Amino acid sequence: MYSKEVLERFKSPKFAGGLRGANGSGKSSDEKYGDIVKIYILVDEDGVIDSAKFKAYGGVSTIVAGDIVCEMLVGMSLEEALGLTSQDILEQFENSIPQDRYYSAVIVEEAINNAVEDYYKRKEREEKKALKEM
Amino acid sequence: MGKRVYLDNAATTIVSSEVLAEMLPCYNAIYGNSNSLHSYGREASAIVDRARDRVAHAINAAKSNEIYFTSGGTEADNWAIKGIAHAYSNKGKHIITSTIEHQAVLDACKQLEEEGYDITYVSVDKTGLVNLTELLHSIRKDTTLISIMAVNNEVGTIQNIKAIAKIAHDYGIIFHTDAVQAIGAIKLDVQDMEIDALSLSAHKIYGPKGVGCLYLKNGIRIDTLIAGGNQERGKRGGTVDVPAVAGFGKAVEIAVRDMTINQQKLRSERDYLLKNIQEKIEYVTVNGHPHQKINGILNISFDMVDNESLLMLLDMEGVAVSIGSACTSNSAEPSHVLKAMQLDNDIVKSSIRISFGKNTSRSDLDYVVEVLEKAVSQLRAISAVTKAGRK
Repeated sequence: MYSKEVLERFKSPKFAGGLRGANGSGKSSDEKYGDIVKIYILVDEDGVIDSAKFKAYGGVSTIVAGDIVCEMLVGMSLEEALGLTSQDILEQFENSIPQDRYYSAVIVEEAINNAVEDYYKRKEREEKKALKEM
Repeated sequence: MGKRVYLDNAATTIVSSEVLAEMLPCYNAIYGNSNSLHSYGREASAIVDRARDRVAHAINAAKSNEIYFTSGGTEADNWAIKGIAHAYSNKGKHIITSTIEHQAVLDACKQLEEEGYDITYVSVDKTGLVNLTELLHSIRKDTTLISIMAVNNEVGTIQNIKAIAKIAHDYGIIFHTDAVQAIGAIKLDVQDMEIDALSLSAHKIYGPKGVGCLYLKNGIRIDTLIAGGNQERGKRGGTVDVPAVAGFGKAVEIAVRDMTINQQKLRSERDYLLKNIQEKIEYVTVNGHPHQKINGILNISFDMVDNESLLMLLDMEGVAVSIGSACTSNSAEPSHVLKAMQLDNDIVKSSIRISFGKNTSRSDLDYVVEVLEKAVSQLRAISAVTKAGRK
């Protein structure tokens, strides 16, 4: 079902957990299977993702998809992050994901989009706040 | 390889040495075709007869010829549902079953629906007990068959089979039960319980895979399953798998012979494991009936933990448990049984089935608790859902 590499990543995900100082976070879930994924990003002043972490309530595929995508996100610009698709995530599994688990990549893609959106919203709020204080 | 603990005995069991000893001579010393007239055939036939007697005796069938050997529980269920439905189609085309049946019954019913039969799926309560009032109200003039499993394979709830059989007979309806998980766990007496048809399987009771039977009370009609031979009273043709049947007969005999002692052992294993889990892990829920359930199955949910991930982490440490039943656990979809019991989605998503064996030791169970505690804690640490106050 899953390859040895996928299971290794599942057992010891490098990017699992919360992210101190995150300035963007996004959540998504699958209604049918009930999996939930949260992505946390820390974006630097140049708009580049400095670090990324995830939390997941889901099966092997959701945990691994979260881990894969966080690894991909580090060093990406926000535009590049928004450009990531579920297909890009699925490709990283190298055919070692059952078809009925493709939804994991879909919710992870949505979570990234929500995290980036959240980052922009926070930034806008901060900018408005700074303007008021001036 | 490190330590391994098998706690998926509701999926299948090891073949016991007593059973294996019964089977082995049938592969070489006694290899005749049980249908042949010569002495080789008669020797094999005597073994098949003895196995049939053993199964009949174990469930108190009036006659041994009411036992029809099949390839297992799934075949027996399919045959019972479709074979009886077809044989009585001139009387009616309505069948009653429950929402928590094994896929073998549910899929056989689905096939009948495609043929134009009407199927009523009676609901169950939160403990997995079939709603008898609803069952009673769903009976119609054209109902020919009621099929309700004796013991559920995912949560272990024991149904009120005798009461359901009585309801069926009050209305002249045939009653079938899937007793695959029940044999050896509860007393089965087809005459006392007024059961017309009953499915059994060998590999859940330390017998070989690929063999089981359908008990069918004499006088109940059923369509022929396999044409092409006079085996199984002409209803299921094909050379009898003598070693498998011999093993099945022995396994059933032992399961009934040792039922009391086995049940005590399983109960003590279950209680020990549960007590230790509850002492060491917070937020656990036990699913199924609080007491009207078999001892060998513990269906338990760990809040905030996905069951597939938990199963895989346990597997990596050599501990085998399952999600739902083995026949459906490759699917990512939540268990149809727990959903039918109307449990919260989170309870369903976080539930695993632990099913004990008669050879599980205390040190095995201690190891399981240790591994379980670590796995649950690992998954809760990264869970996207939280519960206030959790450690």
